[in-house]
Amino acid sequence: MEENTRSKQDLLLDVQNVSVVYDSADGEVYAVNDVSFTLRRGEILGLAGESGSGKSTLAYAIARLLRPPARVTGGRVLYYPRARAGENGNGRTDLPASGVDIFAFDKKELRAFRWSELAVVFQSAMNALNPVATFEAQMVDVMRAHRPEMSKEQQRARLVELARLVGIAPERLKSYPHELSGGMRQRAVIAIALALSPEIIIMDEPTTALDVVIQRDILTELMRLRRQLGFAVIFITHDLSLLLEVADEIIIMYAGRMVEKAGRKALYRHPLHPYTDGLLHSFPTLEGPLVRMSGIPGTPPDLREVPPGCVFHPRCSKAWERCLRERPILTSPPNVGIEDVAERRVACHLYGTDSRREQEPALSGQGGEV
Amino acid sequence: MSKQQEMARSQDLLALRTGQPVLAARDLRKDFPLHPVSLGGGKRVVQAVENASLALYAGQVTALVGESGSGKTTVARILAGMHAPTRGEINFEGKAVNIKSAREMKRYLRKVQYIFQDPFSSLNSVHSVRHHLSRPLRLHGHAHGAREIEEQSLALLERVNLTPARQFLDKYPHQLSGGQRQRVSIARALAVQPVVLLADEPVSMLDVSIRLDILNLLLKLKEEEGLAFLFITHDIASARYFAEETQVMYAGQMVEGGPSDQVIRQPKHPYTRLLCSAAPDPERSARLAELGEAGEAPGVPERGEPPSLVNPPAGCRFHPRCPHAMEVCRQSFPARTDFGGGHWVRCFLYSQGEEASHR
Repeated sequence: MEENTRSKQDLLLDVQNVSVVYDSADGEVYAVNDVSFTLRRGEILGLAGESGSGKSTLAYAIARLLRPPARVTGGRVLYYPRARAGENGNGRTDLPASGVDIFAFDKKELRAFRWSELAVVFQSAMNALNPVATFEAQMVDVMRAHRPEMSKEQQRARLVELARLVGIAPERLKSYPHELSGGMRQRAVIAIALALSPEIIIMDEPTTALDVVIQRDILTELMRLRRQLGFAVIFITHDLSLLLEVADEIIIMYAGRMVEKAGRKALYRHPLHPYTDGLLHSFPTLEGPLVRMSGIPGTPPDLREVPPGCVFHPRCSKAWERCLRERPILTSPPNVGIEDVAERRVACHLYGTDSRREQEPALSGQGGEV
Repeated sequence: MSKQQEMARSQDLLALRTGQPVLAARDLRKDFPLHPVSLGGGKRVVQAVENASLALYAGQVTALVGESGSGKTTVARILAGMHAPTRGEINFEGKAVNIKSAREMKRYLRKVQYIFQDPFSSLNSVHSVRHHLSRPLRLHGHAHGAREIEEQSLALLERVNLTPARQFLDKYPHQLSGGQRQRVSIARALAVQPVVLLADEPVSMLDVSIRLDILNLLLKLKEEEGLAFLFITHDIASARYFAEETQVMYAGQMVEGGPSDQVIRQPKHPYTRLLCSAAPDPERSARLAELGEAGEAPGVPERGEPPSLVNPPAGCRFHPRCPHAMEVCRQSFPARTDFGGGHWVRCFLYSQGEEASHR
C-alpha cells in the first residue's frame, strides 16, 4: 500500500468508538469496547481473535444486525458512499456524498443500505442458504427485493453473470443447496452477496468449514473478484495464518478490545503486542526448523469479570506492575525502527512513551526468540 | 515469549521402528451399503476405504492426513472396533483382532481408546466430570471403592493439566471451555490405561491459542507414557509438528507415507503437493510478499473436488484432478515405490524406479 492510496477519497468506513454490551441475567457482558478503525475502498481488513474476542459482534454491529440482548452503547460508524448515479443502469440509492452514520439509519435507509452497499457472508454456507429453495430462486429473491425495476430477462442475465463470476456453471443455478458441495455452497453465498455490487462485504469465517484445497480455491477467487470489482472486505477469522495471506491490514482483538493494528507484513515481521506474538507462535509451520512451541498459557477471560488493568495480563509473560492496575490505551508505538510505524497501533504498556520499563527496552525480544 | 527448542527427530522411520508394532492394519477395505434396506437387491456401496495399511508403534505418532471424505476417520473407527472391515486384518500386539462379542470388545477397548473431534458433543452434558472419569475406572476394574476412584480421578485430571483438580471434579461440561472439555475427554480415555490412542482431529474444534496446549499435552503423553498414537488431521502443519510418520489419504486410498518432514517438505504424490501448496503458511506468504506479489495467494493449478465414492474413478482415484495423469492411471492403482527411510508413494510417475523425472 503506497501512501498516496490512503487519501481521504478512499475512505469508505470510519468506525468510531463502538461499544457493544450483552445484557445477561448476571450482569452486562462487555463484548466490544471502544473500537475505532477505518476501512478504505477495496481494502481487505482482517479481524482476528479467538471466540469471545468480540470480532463477530463488532462486524454485526456495523451491519446493524445485532438484536437484543446485544445493545450498541456508544460510537458511530460513518459510511462514505461513492457518488455513482446511474452506474450499471440500475438506479442507486440516494445517499449523500459525505459520511452518513449507519447507526442513525431508519428502517428505510437501512433497507437501502444493506445488500446494495454492504453484504454479509455468514460463517456456515450450509446454514445461510435456504434448503428448500434453489440457488437461482434465492438470487432472484435478492434482486426482486432490492431492484424491483429489473425485468425478468435482466435478472436472468445477471444471474448467469454472477454464477460465472464465482465459478459456478450456469446449469447449477437450478440446484438445491444439498445438491452442491461445501465449496460450491460457499461460492453460491458469495455470488448472492455480490448480486448488487456492494461496496463492503463482511465475511464471517467464510472458509472455516472447508477443506484446505477448497479454502485455497475460494480465497484465490475472492482476491480475483476484489481486484476485478473493487469491493472492500472485512474478513473475520480466528485463523491468523489465513489473514497473513489475504489481508491488507489486520486488527487483533482480545476480550472485546483492539490490542493491535498493523499491515500484514509488519504484523508478521514485528508483532508488538505479546498476545499477537503468542498467536503468531500458536500454529506449527510447514517450513523451517521443527521447534517445540509453547503457545499462550491460560484461557481468555470471562467478559463479565475482565481482569483489572490490561485484560491480557494474566496470560502475559511480560506483564509488569503497571499492567495490573492501568488499562493500556491504543496508541502509536514509539518510532523504534520498525516499518509502517505511523500506521500501527498497539495497546500495551511495553510501548508507553512516558513510562517504559527502564530495565528492558521495549523492543527487546520481538519476534519471539526469547 | 514462546520457547523455541528444537525437536530432534529421526528422519529414518525404519531405524525408528525396529520392534513390533502395537497395532497394525493390513489391506483394510470398507464398503458401506448405500441403502441399508434395499429392495430388488441393489448392491450399491460407498467404497470408503481401499487397501489401507498402517502400523502404530509405542511412543510414536502416525498422522493420517486428508480432506473430508478421504476415509481417514473410517480407518480410525475400524481400528477402534466401531466398524468391522469389509476385508483386511488388524493385529494387536501381534495377534489378529476379531471382535465377536461385547466382552471381546470391552477387552479390546481397554487397550485402544478413541478421542473424538468435538468435545461439545462427546461429553454427556447431564453428567459431571467425576461421572465421566469414574465410569471407565469402575468398568475396567482399575479402581475399587469411592476413595480409590476419587484419588485416581484427581490424578487423571492432573495428568491432563486440569488443576487444581478438585475444583474440576464436580463441574459439568457446560461450565468448561472447549479446551478444558477436550482435556476431560483425554482424561477419560486415559482412565482405561490404554496403550493406543486414536485421536480424531482432537484440536480442530478449539481456538488457535488452545490448540497448541492440547497438542503439547498429547506430545507429553507420547513421550512420557510411551503411548502409540494415531493422529487424524486435515492440518498438514500440525502433522509435521506432532507425528513421526505421516500418511496421506485421498478418496479412500493411501497415496503417500513416510517420515513427516520428508512427506511434507518433499512431497512426491501430486495430491500431497496440492495439499501442501494449499495450506496457509505465513512464512511462505511473507516470502511471496517480499517478492512483490502482495495480496495474491499462491495459486494452485489443479481445480475440482474429491470424487463420489459410490462410483469412484478407476485406477488411481486422483487421476481426474491430476495434472500428470497418464493412460495407465485410469486403469490400475499403482504399486508402492520406496525412496528409502520409509518414504513411499503410490504413483505411476515414480513406478519406473527413477525418481521424479518430471519437475
